[in-house]
Amino acid sequence: MTSVEGDKEAPVHYDRHSPDYIDHFDDITHELHSKCPIAWSDTYGGHWVASGYKEVFEIARDATLLSNDHDFRGERKSYQGITIPSQPGRASRGGFLEMDPPEQRDYRRILDPYLSPAAVARWTPMVEDLTRASLDERIETGTIDFVDDLANIVPAVMTLAMLGLPLVDWVIYCEPAHAGVYTPPDSPDMPRVIAAGMAMGQRLAESVIDVRRNRWPGMVDALVTGQVCGAPISDDDIRDTVILLIGGGFDTTTSLTAHSLEWLSEHPAERDRLRADPHGLLDSATEEFLRFYTPAPGDGRTVTREHELSGKRLEEADRLWLSWSMANRDPSVFPDPDDVKIDRKHNRHTSFGLGLHRCIGSNVARSVFKTMLSAVLQRMPDYRCDPAGAVHYDTIGTINGMKHLPATFTPGSRLGAGLDETIAHWQKVVADQRLAEPVVRGAQANDSVA
Amino acid sequence: MKVRVDPEVCQGHTLCAMAAPQVFTLSEYDGHSSAPVEEVAPELEQAVRDAAATCPEQAIIISE
Repeated sequence: MTSVEGDKEAPVHYDRHSPDYIDHFDDITHELHSKCPIAWSDTYGGHWVASGYKEVFEIARDATLLSNDHDFRGERKSYQGITIPSQPGRASRGGFLEMDPPEQRDYRRILDPYLSPAAVARWTPMVEDLTRASLDERIETGTIDFVDDLANIVPAVMTLAMLGLPLVDWVIYCEPAHAGVYTPPDSPDMPRVIAAGMAMGQRLAESVIDVRRNRWPGMVDALVTGQVCGAPISDDDIRDTVILLIGGGFDTTTSLTAHSLEWLSEHPAERDRLRADPHGLLDSATEEFLRFYTPAPGDGRTVTREHELSGKRLEEADRLWLSWSMANRDPSVFPDPDDVKIDRKHNRHTSFGLGLHRCIGSNVARSVFKTMLSAVLQRMPDYRCDPAGAVHYDTIGTINGMKHLPATFTPGSRLGAGLDETIAHWQKVVADQRLAEPVVRGAQANDSVA
Repeated sequence: MKVRVDPEVCQGHTLCAMAAPQVFTLSEYDGHSSAPVEEVAPELEQAVRDAAATCPEQAIIISE
């Protein structure tokens, strides 16, 4: 970066999609923090980058100041949603994450009861058993890829279960959900990724019809029967919402788990500490990995009115990037911010966002992550990741993810049925016990929130 | 010490319930927090201060 004024006359050049961003993240973050924690960047058509914790905290929680709206039909102010660069020509929006209140509030009202801590707690036996089965598939070999063999699988099956979709379809959704995020647009791999995405879209459309017909419980059923702003939800909005829930449910938890396992492999003394005291350390370690790795590193916004922020003037229609990942490294809030401290206190990280768009799946993420991590520490305590085999995403601008994390360990014994049999078992339990029903029904859940 | 959670500000991060489960209750519906008992027992005061410092939304209001 050259200029350090960080205003429109003297912008910075902040490009989080560049291939070397991942290597220079710490330095870029420090420089922005010390010189211009709110800075205008000339990249991607020009946009503000909010990297300071104070700045992010001040504006992220005000949904009247910052809009998520993706007005692709130009019916309101043609705001361009939450991706920077924006995606002109894309005739869809990212579900309720690209909406403002009151519409956004109605979606949260409909879906929150499926994702509350109480709702998520009912899935614990299934998540534990899926984890057990995934590890059983590899436990006798002494080798595993923590992404392919564990961290890709459990979040995918769990998300489909909560949606009310067939669990065996996780293989159809998994590859496009990840590859769609990490494949650069000009990659020769893109046609394959697009084809897999279309197969996923096709399967999703069929499944929504099945849910309408059969009323399988779950979040798709909630969308099919729910009302937003007094009207049923369109098929396009149902589709886009499910894609949002898949995008939020798959890649992010996978990424957090892989990064954390890799870090613990590189810090065996800390791994021993965590293993010896999960009651005292698992919660704080989880929040610290969330802070340090920030799987969803930021979100775009559009400024709705003029606003003064730390000496800079934000103007209506300005695009703005809320950098959760950089705010999470602010030394004024997190002492020694670039160190992972598994017992860190007062860890008020922004990894699930701030304000009314707080990640709706945060309770799922924590629960599934802790289950997978605990099982690995218990059953493969001496695992060693292979640094040469670890593959991080080429670009971490959208999701800070990993494609592969091979490891070796002292082999152990299987504890139960294999993955396919376990998935079939839980499909039956889900159906018989209607596990995907929301935890709360009735007047409170159905009243419209102003 | 008295504690309450501002319902307009709380967004259901649930970190307060991790720091002080005896004090904060989470809604079954959306995980938002409340403190059913306003008065904080002396042995829980530090946990409540920790919870307030850990809330990403700064929704916890303490009066000493």
